[in-house]
Amino acid sequence: MLKRLTYTVLAILFVTVFFGIDKSFAASAEVNYKWYCSQCHGLKGDGKGVNATPDQPVNPKNHTDTAEMAKLTVSDVENVIRDGGAASSKSTMMPPFDKTMTSEEIKELVPYLSKLCNCKFK
Amino acid sequence: MKGFFKIFAGALAVLVFLIIMGVNQSADASPAEGKSVFTAKNCGGCHLTAGPNTDKTFEDKLKRKGPDLWFAGSKFKLDWLESWLQNPKPIRPMEYNSIEKKNAGNHAKLSATEAHQVAEYLNSLISKDVAEKVIEDGKPNIQGKIAFEKKQGCYGCHSVTKAGKVVGGLTGPSFVDAGKRLRGDWIYAYLKDPKALIPVKRMPTYVGVLNDNDMKAVAQHITTFK
Ligand code: HEC
Repeated sequence: MLKRLTYTVLAILFVTVFFGIDKSFAASAEVNYKWYCSQCHGLKGDGKGVNATPDQPVNPKNHTDTAEMAKLTVSDVENVIRDGGAASSKSTMMPPFDKTMTSEEIKELVPYLSKLCNCKFK
Repeated sequence: MKGFFKIFAGALAVLVFLIIMGVNQSADASPAEGKSVFTAKNCGGCHLTAGPNTDKTFEDKLKRKGPDLWFAGSKFKLDWLESWLQNPKPIRPMEYNSIEKKNAGNHAKLSATEAHQVAEYLNSLISKDVAEKVIEDGKPNIQGKIAFEKKQGCYGCHSVTKAGKVVGGLTGPSFVDAGKRLRGDWIYAYLKDPKALIPVKRMPTYVGVLNDNDMKAVAQHITTFK
């Protein structure tokens, strides 16, 4: 009986520790933005990342442009991050991140973008 | 008669000597020689040669100083390795791991002999994650071109030559002469199972975005860049 209890406690402990570690692998919105998005959208979100070279067919969206960004809805933003520009009749230069980040991580980027543009999505 | 034999034996000895020398010279350097140069120059200080890579977080990745080489033989073409090691020009326009600093182009340079030996060593580092002879390198592939330029915007991060001009992004490795450098089999294996080869990276995953045919086609298309 005691043995069983010990095993149960150990199992619970293991699962807690394991999930704890696993969760810490998921990066915060800001960290994800700087890692994945800033290469095009810039570290400040101004659309001036190093990939925005003069010959590119379209410029990365300036995420600090309040008026422009405020035209988007929450689902516009989520969809374009998830499925890329092509899926929202935008340029394929905006890649899809569906298989790169979890849907939670993608959702968490929305309030971060809202902070960058100092605007609210419709 | 005795004199004739002496000359014959002498000529034979010279011939055998020449053959041995010849064979010896055309024989490839052994990977072991290259490995000792690699170790002596501390290349392992920046490059991982014993895979797999166990990185889990961005921080793990940022601790690394250079790209992994544990699959180098599956990834690079041998003659490209040998010439690049003697004349190392930036491959990624930005410094390793950076999206702010330009690549200074200050990679260590090897002599012709060292480069030959190290290339043989790197060529011996094969990964079981890369299936061989799947992609026909250098063969034009229109489906791959469409996937590369239209379905996805690969040039968003990878520079390419367009109408004689280098265009495209800077945070991915340049594809300007990718066909000389990369084996199509590696590109396909990477697209198909990116985590097995490079677990943490800035490039989005295309698994489930591009289908298997498109992945093969893109891999082949990239090997046509020369
Ligand atoms: C390879 C470069 C690149 C990367 C990486 C990238 N973007 Fe973009 N993004 C673009 C471009 C280019 C556009 C503009 C597309 C257009 O106007 O057709 C864009 C547009 C957008 C838009 C505006 C869409 C609209 O409907 O106007 C949002 C929002 C966005 N990106 C968010 C992100 C986020 C968040 C990330 C990181 C997870 C990211 N982007 C990564 C290039 C990129």
